[in-house]
Amino acid sequence: MNYQGLTDLELLAQIGEKDREALASLYDRYGRRVFALAARILNDPVGSEEVTQDVFMSVWRRGASYTSKKGKFTTWLFSIAHNRTIDELRKRRRDRSRENDDIEDHYDLKSSDISPADAAVAQSEYAKVKAAMDNLPEEQKSVVELSYFKGLAQTEIATKTGQPLGTVKTRMRLALKKLRVALSAEMGAEV
Amino acid sequence: MTDSRDTTENPKNNGDNVDMDPRYENLAAYVLDALDQDDERESVEILIENDPEVAAEYRELAEVADHLAIGVPPVAPSVQLKSRIMELASRDSAPTQFTPQPVARTVPWWKRAFRSGVATSAVAAVLVLVVAGVLTAQNSQLSNEVSILRSELTSESTAVAIIKSELSTTLNDSETKVASMKTEMDQMEDEFGATTKMVVHQEEMMSELATANMALRQTLRDQSWLTYVTMREDYQLTSWLANSEASTPETSASGLIAVSVVDPTAVLQVQGLEQPQPGFVYTLWLMGNGAPRPVFQFEVSEIGSANVAFQLPAPLFEYTSVIITQERLNAIGRNPSGTMVISAETN
Repeated sequence: MNYQGLTDLELLAQIGEKDREALASLYDRYGRRVFALAARILNDPVGSEEVTQDVFMSVWRRGASYTSKKGKFTTWLFSIAHNRTIDELRKRRRDRSRENDDIEDHYDLKSSDISPADAAVAQSEYAKVKAAMDNLPEEQKSVVELSYFKGLAQTEIATKTGQPLGTVKTRMRLALKKLRVALSAEMGAEV
Repeated sequence: MTDSRDTTENPKNNGDNVDMDPRYENLAAYVLDALDQDDERESVEILIENDPEVAAEYRELAEVADHLAIGVPPVAPSVQLKSRIMELASRDSAPTQFTPQPVARTVPWWKRAFRSGVATSAVAAVLVLVVAGVLTAQNSQLSNEVSILRSELTSESTAVAIIKSELSTTLNDSETKVASMKTEMDQMEDEFGATTKMVVHQEEMMSELATANMALRQTLRDQSWLTYVTMREDYQLTSWLANSEASTPETSASGLIAVSVVDPTAVLQVQGLEQPQPGFVYTLWLMGNGAPRPVFQFEVSEIGSANVAFQLPAPLFEYTSVIITQERLNAIGRNPSGTMVISAETN
């Protein structure tokens, strides 16, 4: 079977049939991205690999729980990855250990194992998202950074920034909407 | 799909003061995993499932989050990570059948299940399994109890066999002890018989000793005779006192009376006398010259002998006999009245 020619949903169907090759192919497609997301948030290669391992084992066990009804497979996959990573981050924060200090620190992680082509694509995507983020009002950019990459809950953000909770909620929503507009061309191409 | 009260036309317009439809107020935080409580997530998911407008906005915002995830700096995991995942997948043999289900985020699986159409049948199936499980567990428990009872019965049977064996051993020991005691009693009886024989033998020895005693007394008489002979130069033996009237050897006594050749004194020497009765002493009588004449009273030594010098009231030859009796101390009558132990002629 030519797994590289299968769609994400076809691979998931094969995974439901206990096809390890399908899981391997899915990992080849998204493993680095899942790891990169975890590494961006945790700033810890070992912990990020543990999260990545958990995510793909979750796909192996719970692949049947995905439905295309509410979104793309990547949305589902990265929501699992992000949720698992945030859980780990909050757990570490409770333990008051290995807490990341600054978003910029994440760029120190090595990228030597990425092929030049993949690195170019990743850099391009990163550049687009970074540009869209930089174009946001600072308050809106901050709530996205604090929530998505720092793992703070909205009440924690309100406390940290001294803003009312309602304002935080509004800024979150507006930030996502503006990012959607900024990235609309690419989203339309993918959908 | 957008909220009609929202504005996003100016990217730098933060729009923070725009009133927000309550249906959407937690939607962005849900997408960004920034809700505080599980019940908030559950409320959002209910809205997504039941409100098409909310569901449409969710899909839009979720795709933005998708880009946030993809648009991170490119870094790669170790090359071993894939092999570890594949190894874990090999050991984990429980992947599920591919059947589309609602998107799972952080809400517990059972909450999602109850909101789905298959929840009822699933619950029913689970209940059947639970009941079957309970019955199986009870059956297993009963089997275990029966097994335990059998085990206990076996143990008790073993214990009874052990007790029976111990009782048998005890009974055998008792019989052995009874037999041993019987043997000992037989031995004791034999010993008793031997003791009886010894008593008889002792009696025989006592008889022999009495005979020997008689011989010894005879010897003493002979010694008295020898004494008499040796004293002839100073005293003249005038009377050998033999126990001629004594009825038993034990009461027999002997003695002599020697008279001085130069003055009217005499010596009485006796032996073989018993200790007199309490309050009595021995008394020497001279007889045959008128009325009986008590001469003196005397005591004997521990071995029943006595040597007494005394004055003769008249020459001894004027008397016909000498007797010794037991009389009360200092209460002598006219005639001998007590037990007579020696009676002899004066020669």
